[in-house]
Amino acid sequence: MRLLVVEDETELRAQLESQLRAAGFAVDGAADGENGFYLGREYPFDLAVVDLGLPKLSGIDVIKRWRAQGRGFPVLILTARGRWQDKVEGLNAGADDYLAKPFHTEELLARINALLRRTAGVAQPVLRCGPLALDTARQSVQLHDRPLELTAFEYRLLEYLMLHRGEVVSKTELTEHLYDQDFDRDSNVLEVLIGRLRRKLDPDERLRPVETLRGRGYRFTLKCDTP
Amino acid sequence: MTPSLNTRLLVASSVVLAAFLGATGLTLDNAFRASAESALRDRLQNQLYALLAASDVDDRGVLRLPAELPDPRFSQIGSGLYAEVVDADGRALWRSRSMLGLHVPFPKPPAVGKRAFVPLAAGNGTRLMSLGFSVSWETGGGTAHRYGYRVAENLTVVETQIRRFRANLWGWLGGAAALLLIVQTIILRWSLAPLRQAANDLRAIESGLAQRLRGDYPRELRRLTDNLNALLESAESHLRRYRDSLGNLAHSLKTPLAVLRGALDGARDDLGLRRVAEEQLTTMTQLIDYQLQRAAASGRASLAAPVAVRPVAEKILNALAKVYADKRIERVLDVDPEIVFHGDAGDLTEMLGNLLDNACKWCRQRVGIHATRVDDGAPALELAIEDDGPGIPDADRARVLERGARADRDTPGHGLGLAMVADTVALYRGRLALDRAPSGGLRVTLRFPISVA
Repeated sequence: MRLLVVEDETELRAQLESQLRAAGFAVDGAADGENGFYLGREYPFDLAVVDLGLPKLSGIDVIKRWRAQGRGFPVLILTARGRWQDKVEGLNAGADDYLAKPFHTEELLARINALLRRTAGVAQPVLRCGPLALDTARQSVQLHDRPLELTAFEYRLLEYLMLHRGEVVSKTELTEHLYDQDFDRDSNVLEVLIGRLRRKLDPDERLRPVETLRGRGYRFTLKCDTP
Repeated sequence: MTPSLNTRLLVASSVVLAAFLGATGLTLDNAFRASAESALRDRLQNQLYALLAASDVDDRGVLRLPAELPDPRFSQIGSGLYAEVVDADGRALWRSRSMLGLHVPFPKPPAVGKRAFVPLAAGNGTRLMSLGFSVSWETGGGTAHRYGYRVAENLTVVETQIRRFRANLWGWLGGAAALLLIVQTIILRWSLAPLRQAANDLRAIESGLAQRLRGDYPRELRRLTDNLNALLESAESHLRRYRDSLGNLAHSLKTPLAVLRGALDGARDDLGLRRVAEEQLTTMTQLIDYQLQRAAASGRASLAAPVAVRPVAEKILNALAKVYADKRIERVLDVDPEIVFHGDAGDLTEMLGNLLDNACKWCRQRVGIHATRVDDGAPALELAIEDDGPGIPDADRARVLERGARADRDTPGHGLGLAMVADTVALYRGRLALDRAPSGGLRVTLRFPISVA
């Protein structure tokens, strides 16, 4: 999952970026409203975290402009003033949730994961597909009711495929959504990672949850319970 | 620059006064002149009748007039009253003694039985008013003789009268105008005194000598001065609240800071320090939130334009529907569009935001807001926010209104919502009540008195 963080406070932006990366997200940052709007318009983000008080272009205007341009990714607003007027204005301008500063990192991650899940049309925090259970709230995966050890990045990769279950996900799409701008797109790191994920999910190669469609991409094939 | 009220009133009334007095003067002047002239004509006519009465015509048509006429001025040379009788050809038959040595260019007499008043100038330049009259007398022989009678009187007398009258008239009118202007200036100063007093009071407030407008103002100004006082009061209470909040905040932050400092000095391991820092950070955040919200609440009731409740509630419900999209909450908005809140829109948003957010957080399925105008003796606005959640046990209700308290520690939030709402409600001299909703959840009822102005 690729996130955009628009926050003018350098220290806080650096903190957010490193915490979100540690949670396995690809993160791009913007220090002002104009740059944030530009990035959000040009790149396929899965979610944006936007501070309301931004230089050049206010957070509310950034969101309004994205929505006017048809950018529908979920937006989480951060406000320093916990006033309802700001929250209501932000939500009515097109944001999907808010968080008042200061906040705990866990709470931010919980909100982000809930929004991502909601956007993928999954109502419950746990998505069950055969013997596989993806818990988006706890960020964990269980296989045959036993916890599966995944790195943060492997979790994000599996989560993306499962939230887009049944769809063909191209390598470009995966790269764009799992890596930020600075990633070297020509490497075959992704193939290596898919291979490693397959071995963890399906050690005896009976389940085959992720199939490769030559030249087109990957597809998550298991049937899932929740809509 | 806009002219002062004083100048406006003075200029306007002076113009009206001048026009009115001028018109009065001209009318009186004309009336007096007309009456003086008509009196002169009457006099001339009487003189003419006297002459006619004194005339004696014998059988041969010879006209005779006695040497002494009723008005002695006829016999006095240059007296200003002149008379002449001419025959049909215009030859003078008789002249009064007063005309001796004076040429009076009488016009031709008019037709028999007709009178003609003609102003003219005598040989020496004096202006006269003349009256001509023709008679035809039949003598014994049956012949008719025509005679032309003419009288003239000096106009100087009349003109002197008119001049004197004019001088008198304009003198009096001018005096009256001056007096009226003085009286008016005094009235103006007296009427505008409250405004001057208000200005003085304001200056006193500006320089810090007074706190509010003190004077006893007339009814027309009272709304203005009352509003100014209300504004001053609310500004002052704002300032006081900010100052209090700032003081409270600074003082209350000192405790967690002291704890942190102590922990830093006595820390043996990072874990213990982390735990203390975490705790104290939470405390500080709560303190800041609480004081900020308290300071931001405006609590103005008297001056703010009334705010319609429905659009505010609707906006908040729409916003919350996004935040709690997973719950698919059924929203009940039972607010008549006519219902208004007499106060600050920001305060209303904060109160409804907190209460509706709580309701959404705790409800199972449904959240409702009901607004009614109640009038049981004292008119009031009643806002009820309810949910169908677990509610709050009776024993805990008083406690949740305390700051920092939270019925459930697991749900994020600082537990300041209800306390903050209660504070704001108190600012509007309203009441907050918690009870059980029909559906079993919590119902919060806010009641704001509506002052009848």
